[in-house]
Amino acid sequence: MLDNLTIEKTSKLLSEKQVSALEITNNYLKKIKDSNKLNCFITVSDEKAIDAAKQTDKRISNNEKIGLLDGVPLAYKDLFCTDGILTTASSKILSNFIPTYESTVTANCKNQGAVVLGKLNCDEFAMGSTNKTSFYGPVINPWKSIGNDEDLVPGGSSGGSAAAVAADLCVASLGTDTGGSIRQPASFTGLVGLKPTYGRVSRWGTVAFASSLDQAGPISKTVEDAAILLETISGHDNKDSTSSLKENELFYSNLNSSVKNLKIGVPKEYMSDDLPEEIQKFWNEGKKILTENGAELVEISLPSTNTALPAYYIIAPAEASSNLSRYDGVKYGLRVKEKSLIEMYESTRSEGFGDEVKRRIMIGTYVLSSGYYDAYYIKAQKIRSIIKNDFDNVFKNVDAIFTPATPNTAFPINREEIDPVQNYLNDIFTVPANLAGLPAISIPFGLDNSGLPIGMQLITNSFEEQMLLNISKNLQDTINFSNQPIQWWA
Amino acid sequence: MNNNWQTVIGIEIHAQVNSNSKLFSSSSTEFGSAPNTQVSLVDAAMPGMLPVINKFCIEQAVKSGLGLNAKINKISIFDRKNYFYQDLPQGYQISQFKDPIVGEGSIEIDIEGTKKVIGIERLHLEQDAGKSLHDQDPKLTFVDLNRSGIALMEIVSKPDMSSPEEAVAYIRKVRTILRYLDTCDGNMEQGSLRADINISVRKEGDELGTRCEIKNLNSFKHINAAINFEVDRQIKIIEGGEKIKQETRLYDVVADKTRSMRSKEDAHDYRYFPDPDLLPLKLDQDWIDKLKKDLPELPDEKKARFIELYKISEYDAEVLTSDRLTSRYFEDVATNRNAKLAVSWVASELFAILNKLNLSIEKSPVNSKQLGELIDEIESGVISNRAAKEVFEEMCESDKSVKDIINDKGLVQISDTSEIEKFIDQVLIDNPDNVQKYKEGKTKLLGFFIGEVMKATKGKANPGLLNQIVKKKLDN
Amino acid sequence: MEFDKNSTLKLAKLARLSLNDEQLNSLEKDLTSIVSFIDQLKEINTDKIDPTSNSLNQDLILREDIAENSLSNEDLLKNVPESELGFFVVPKVLE
Repeated sequence: MLDNLTIEKTSKLLSEKQVSALEITNNYLKKIKDSNKLNCFITVSDEKAIDAAKQTDKRISNNEKIGLLDGVPLAYKDLFCTDGILTTASSKILSNFIPTYESTVTANCKNQGAVVLGKLNCDEFAMGSTNKTSFYGPVINPWKSIGNDEDLVPGGSSGGSAAAVAADLCVASLGTDTGGSIRQPASFTGLVGLKPTYGRVSRWGTVAFASSLDQAGPISKTVEDAAILLETISGHDNKDSTSSLKENELFYSNLNSSVKNLKIGVPKEYMSDDLPEEIQKFWNEGKKILTENGAELVEISLPSTNTALPAYYIIAPAEASSNLSRYDGVKYGLRVKEKSLIEMYESTRSEGFGDEVKRRIMIGTYVLSSGYYDAYYIKAQKIRSIIKNDFDNVFKNVDAIFTPATPNTAFPINREEIDPVQNYLNDIFTVPANLAGLPAISIPFGLDNSGLPIGMQLITNSFEEQMLLNISKNLQDTINFSNQPIQWWA
Repeated sequence: MNNNWQTVIGIEIHAQVNSNSKLFSSSSTEFGSAPNTQVSLVDAAMPGMLPVINKFCIEQAVKSGLGLNAKINKISIFDRKNYFYQDLPQGYQISQFKDPIVGEGSIEIDIEGTKKVIGIERLHLEQDAGKSLHDQDPKLTFVDLNRSGIALMEIVSKPDMSSPEEAVAYIRKVRTILRYLDTCDGNMEQGSLRADINISVRKEGDELGTRCEIKNLNSFKHINAAINFEVDRQIKIIEGGEKIKQETRLYDVVADKTRSMRSKEDAHDYRYFPDPDLLPLKLDQDWIDKLKKDLPELPDEKKARFIELYKISEYDAEVLTSDRLTSRYFEDVATNRNAKLAVSWVASELFAILNKLNLSIEKSPVNSKQLGELIDEIESGVISNRAAKEVFEEMCESDKSVKDIINDKGLVQISDTSEIEKFIDQVLIDNPDNVQKYKEGKTKLLGFFIGEVMKATKGKANPGLLNQIVKKKLDN
Repeated sequence: MEFDKNSTLKLAKLARLSLNDEQLNSLEKDLTSIVSFIDQLKEINTDKIDPTSNSLNQDLILREDIAENSLSNEDLLKNVPESELGFFVVPKVLE
């Protein structure tokens, strides 16, 4: 009864007083203890979790009305600043940083009575799609290929957030998505991962990677749970100048699963001979389901699709190179002692940042530097306009866009890497939504021949998360994906 | 030596915006608090912190732009200027690069009656840095972030000035305008207003020379001295057959010299780009129009009005309008009174005492109402101008009313004709020789008689009446 | 663009990173490969396009000018590597 809980199920158990929040929390804490092989958690905040669970139990025994998240054990990507809990961004440079403040997103969950089990491993400063760039070591995907014991990547950057939910070490989690960092790992682990419209969720208190692209969002076992979490974390925040003024919506209560008369676009630019056959197969199956359930499929064109990835790898590093300048050993975090200020900066940053972060800082510095700014940075921002315009045009005619989430399934951690660009290609289907600021979701569809999860992606127009969730629910209810990884780690 | 040499000067003024809180955070801007007690999570650049702009600072920048007769840009963009420094916690300064809030404008300066228009290139908003203390420890630099994030207006002039006098007049004028608008307190000692001076020299008719920038000057005396030194230095170099290196220089107050800080080769590559944490700032024309309508009277207008209304000299008007509070003080005193008397009392007597006590006008020991009362006594003939000075001195030191001081000191003027005649008659009787000489044509002796009467009356005789009666008696 | 030792070191200096020879070597290679990847964009004509630096279509949010000192000196310095008398400290900077 205490395993494989969803938010909905947990809430029902608690309000019906079938179990206590403390029992549920203790069960998860035990499972986390037994999961060291997966390396999902950087910090387990067991005392705070037990405290919060007891508070929920007190409210229940006082017959207070409890919300859907009250007493539900969650865990957060270690990019969200949490008051009094170590927050590292998976980087050595923040390996001793304990915030005195709580991010807006996690504060919203806390206010709803959520229990925080701890902080989840991720790629360093969210830069990566494998979770291998973490200072705390890679996260291991709970899924394995049939008959092959090789460790696989969980995807990234929110690798810990995906693996922890897939391995049922928490009910659901929060991640961040700058170029696919929620959707790609969700797809690699058979979960639902949602990136909201840019501006829907406050970025205050979340360690920044690329400010114009970053959005926090849920990774969950069901579309319903994604709706609950989205509803909780979104809303205007006057501490974030890029936070939308739109009224918050009741995504969960308004959830339905009708796709009748909706027009779903299928972009021809996403079709490629390079796409693995099994991904193609599930994509086709999805199209079939949508048609059968009453939607109309429309072939659409997003002509600038192939420019999104190079534009992203200019914009994101440019913003990151500047965002990461604050890590200089003066105010907090790591300091390597040196005799001069400049040597102190250089040693601190060289020792504090890992290779991928250094690469991106260097590229970002390059594209912003004098003589290259127009050719790269401005060019990429113009490409962003073109991409956004492509989507604007398409959304005049369709309600949603349906594509694969990733060009591949989970791959071995020890895969030989020829050069960094190879990994950048993992984001090929996810990046356009970030550049255009659109909401997008990855939903599990099935397993490939090796038994690894495959996810599909839906994208809707800005602030159309309700429709995104509704179509997702339709697909979820039809497909009924219920596979789970075989537990090998405990 | 400076024959045929022309100096070209452009100035960047950094003026701290008068506001309660910082440009992108709610921390207080108060001066002189304990170190690092006015620093928010945002100012300290803690992970995940984001800037939210202060509406009032925008208003202040727009008002300043309007005061500088400049174009207000309805869309402006905040950029990041990237560089590492111990007092720059973010590793970048939020500033405005390509699209500033205020565009081109101009102001007029006046040097001993000669007017010149100086162009304004732009005004933009940016964050101030923190403060470094280098003298607290032999091996360490201390950093106080209280100032970090306070709003600054950077006002960039065109290279329209050609002498230290013009440079100083320009900065003074900008400072006066900002103080009139209450957008900057102009306090140079506290660093609320500082200037970077760009200087180059050329032979008449030649193209612009290579310029050097002297950073961070915060007194008129230093600005004047630094420009003089720098111009001589540059001319000497060129006349010695060498070239000027483009560089940033510092003025060393003690040595009265400028010295190199960094050359162009070490110049930073600031990698400006639009701050992705902020959206473009859009201003509404109606809002701008309203600010424009509500602008206070500015120094040039006020000066013109003073000349017209009070019939005072251009010089006096300039002096009296150089500061908003001074002009208000003067107007309080001059309204419904003899303007000439008001000018002389404010510009001479009051300024002299303020200078002596090193006080600003708002701390004046005599307020405008009291000075007005004193002038009333002069105008109505109760006391002489000379006696008034004695009263004024007493007013500076005590809280006694004008009337009490006059009574206590017995300074009431004798304006009764018959009484004055009595004194005159006595003097004429006592000095028959001089009366004789006067009648023989030595009319210069008139002063002697007046002096004697004044002596006899202890200065209390109404000078106008006295003069009139003495003359009449002697000429009879 | 081919990155060599000089151009790589210049960037590292700007970014305040110190690199050993091995790191330099591998970065030269990586940067060259990344730049050739992003150089694809050079073929796209963007002459008449305005750049978008943020996709959110909204006016800048403004804050009222109310001062509050929300952070004590103690909390400010909670995570500081080194401090003296309430100041942040760094190795001596000569001006």
